Amino acid sequence: MSTVHNNRYDLGGLELSRLIKTAIFSKIIPMGNFRGGPGGRCLVVLALLHYLGYPGYRIFAQYGHRLRFLKRIAGKLKK
Amino acid sequence: MNFTTYYSLESLIKAGKKSARDKHAVSVDLFDTLLVRRIHDPDLVKLPVARLIAGLAAAKGRSWNWQKIQSQRDTIEQSHRVTTGMKFEDHEACYPVFMRELLAAIFQDDYDESLLAQVTEYELAMENSMLVPRKMLVDWLRELAAEGKRIFIISDMYLPSSHLQKLVDHAGVLDLVEAVISSADTFLAKASGKAYPMISEKYSIRPEEWLHVGDNPFSDGMRAGEAGIEAIIIHDPGEQQRKSIVKRYYNYSDGRPFWRGRALQQLMAPLEGENLPNSPLYTEGYNFLGPLIGIFVQQIAELCRKNEITKVFFLSREGWTFKRYWEKTAPFLFPEKNLPETEYLYVSRMALAGASCAYQGLTKANADIAFLPSGNRDFRDVCRIFSLIPERFAEHLAAHGLSVDTCLSHIHEGYDPGDRKRFDTLLLDESFQAEVKRQTADANQAMQRYFEQVGMFSHRNVAIVDIGWLGTIQRFLFESIAHRADCPYCFGYLFGATRGIPYPDSDRNMISGVMYDRNRFDLAASTLFYAQDIFEEACRAPHPTLNGYRLTADGYELEFRKTDDDIGQAELHQDDYFGPLQKGIIDSAPRFGAAAALLGYSFDDWKPWINYLLVSKLAFPRAKEVANIRHRHHLDDFHGSKKPKADFGKGMEMLWSQSQMQLRFNPLLRLKFFFSHLRRRINE
Repeated sequence: MSTVHNNRYDLGGLELSRLIKTAIFSKIIPMGNFRGGPGGRCLVVLALLHYLGYPGYRIFAQYGHRLRFLKRIAGKLKK
Repeated sequence: MNFTTYYSLESLIKAGKKSARDKHAVSVDLFDTLLVRRIHDPDLVKLPVARLIAGLAAAKGRSWNWQKIQSQRDTIEQSHRVTTGMKFEDHEACYPVFMRELLAAIFQDDYDESLLAQVTEYELAMENSMLVPRKMLVDWLRELAAEGKRIFIISDMYLPSSHLQKLVDHAGVLDLVEAVISSADTFLAKASGKAYPMISEKYSIRPEEWLHVGDNPFSDGMRAGEAGIEAIIIHDPGEQQRKSIVKRYYNYSDGRPFWRGRALQQLMAPLEGENLPNSPLYTEGYNFLGPLIGIFVQQIAELCRKNEITKVFFLSREGWTFKRYWEKTAPFLFPEKNLPETEYLYVSRMALAGASCAYQGLTKANADIAFLPSGNRDFRDVCRIFSLIPERFAEHLAAHGLSVDTCLSHIHEGYDPGDRKRFDTLLLDESFQAEVKRQTADANQAMQRYFEQVGMFSHRNVAIVDIGWLGTIQRFLFESIAHRADCPYCFGYLFGATRGIPYPDSDRNMISGVMYDRNRFDLAASTLFYAQDIFEEACRAPHPTLNGYRLTADGYELEFRKTDDDIGQAELHQDDYFGPLQKGIIDSAPRFGAAAALLGYSFDDWKPWINYLLVSKLAFPRAKEVANIRHRHHLDDFHGSKKPKADFGKGMEMLWSQSQMQLRFNPLLRLKFFFSHLRRRINE
């Protein structure tokens, strides 16, 4: 038995890990036209969200107000 | 603060059950509490509505693009909110009022109330398609209703209560609820806290006997607390994660076309009670084949509009699935309802092959087609395919030095090229062709009667939709009706056109592959060659193949293949096996339609993702996917039962025919097949 949408909000049988493998492979051998492909940064962000998103949001939901200083630091780093 | 926040639905409901014991009434916030949205931004649902209005305006000769309509809607809605804010504390707006104003501004003299009804119906349908009830909350509400608690649904929303009731009804909880209360009706919202005393008074609920459940700490938590109502708030990190993922897919799809198809599938994905454990085949149907078929039918609809096609014929038996998919997606994708008529047409290569000979006789090209399958060897096979009686040709064959059993296929033992030349000469023999025409005339006449009945000749331009691959069905179909003055222009659209034999394209009879066409170099899509039969079996209708058309005194009869022999039983077994796969495909259809309508993309936008799906699933499948998706039986009546030479087929091995052992433990197997596939595509 399987579900169409797994508990990481990823697609059954088309998981992000499979996409990452194909994306790497397509850099080495011609696999067809992916019109620019998925992009490394997008894959990293999506991998973080799919695989580590829940614990991250769980911490932010409960202790987010105490972690605002992190946002300020991130804002300063961006500048 | 007179409210508590919970970080999971389980803990919220557990606490809610305790609190509700001494309460008489429980109210629940609607959006993001009882119903969650598939999309991260609720305003995105407005975009397909703007596209519908633009389409309706264009039909009336008014030049409004959807972006301008959306901007105008925002302006009007905002002005209504400002006006409301002058009289009330909340800056609310009411959908029917501002939408009527918008439509009147666009359509002016052409505006009537039916227009508002049509737009409202579509907006609610789109809303419904993007909303999913939270299963655990619904179950809890059922328990509360069974205990006799009064249940209310409260929302700060521009849709009035009458509209919200349709959303609640769609979620299946309207029967549990005493009232659905919207701020659009009274302009008293939860945000200011004014809604709570109004509801308390109108429905005679004492605040201390009232439990409110919501997701907004301010309007559902603090404001309820100020009114003396106990409130519990859900702050679900899982929901935040899900929406954050959807948001990324949506945003990335704007700049990187590759993600457009992935965003589509993320929006299509079932949530909550829709996402139940099922057979792996169901998942493959929903996640792999469903979107491919959806994109195929969406493109056909676009092509029909472009070529002014007024009727689409979905050919049996794969057309059965295509037609069902079309019917389930069209209300979302094409709400203007200006699509061509559709018809499921009972045809088959075997049924049409004979009928195609009634006027033109047996052509060399068609005879060559008969010898394409490796199981066909001699004139008996030609007769089987073209519904001819071999014994009646004995004299004609003898006159050319042939017999019904003379080998005519080069891949069989006993082949003599001279025999094939003599056979080609036989095809030029007028008395032979006269006998062919005589034997096939009735089938052709019966077929024409059937085609007349289904309206084939009442349209100038028709689409002929089939799965593929060589276009032989359309070739035979057109040849059967080409003699008629009212023969329509036939636009053939195949899921995949692998061709292999030149198709006789003309102005009246053209064919093209939508997902793949061998006439265009497309490496990724060409991976359809890996497993063509799987697509056929996955889309096949649950009825036997058509053997032919029989002329009767008052019309015609369709003759279907019997199912009581081994082959018929094998097909039934295959139908049972692929049942979950087909269910997955069909279940994905309405969600595909809604998601594609919301994103507003077309075939070219989906193409990079289609390419990824095909390469990933067909050329680099997992061993268990091959084990699951590989069909158990495949009927091909066109294919005879003769055995070709022993060395035939060497070097034509397929990845999908490899053993599980090879697929699991040979790390270079897929690469080896992919490189040989690549070489073949480059060399063709």
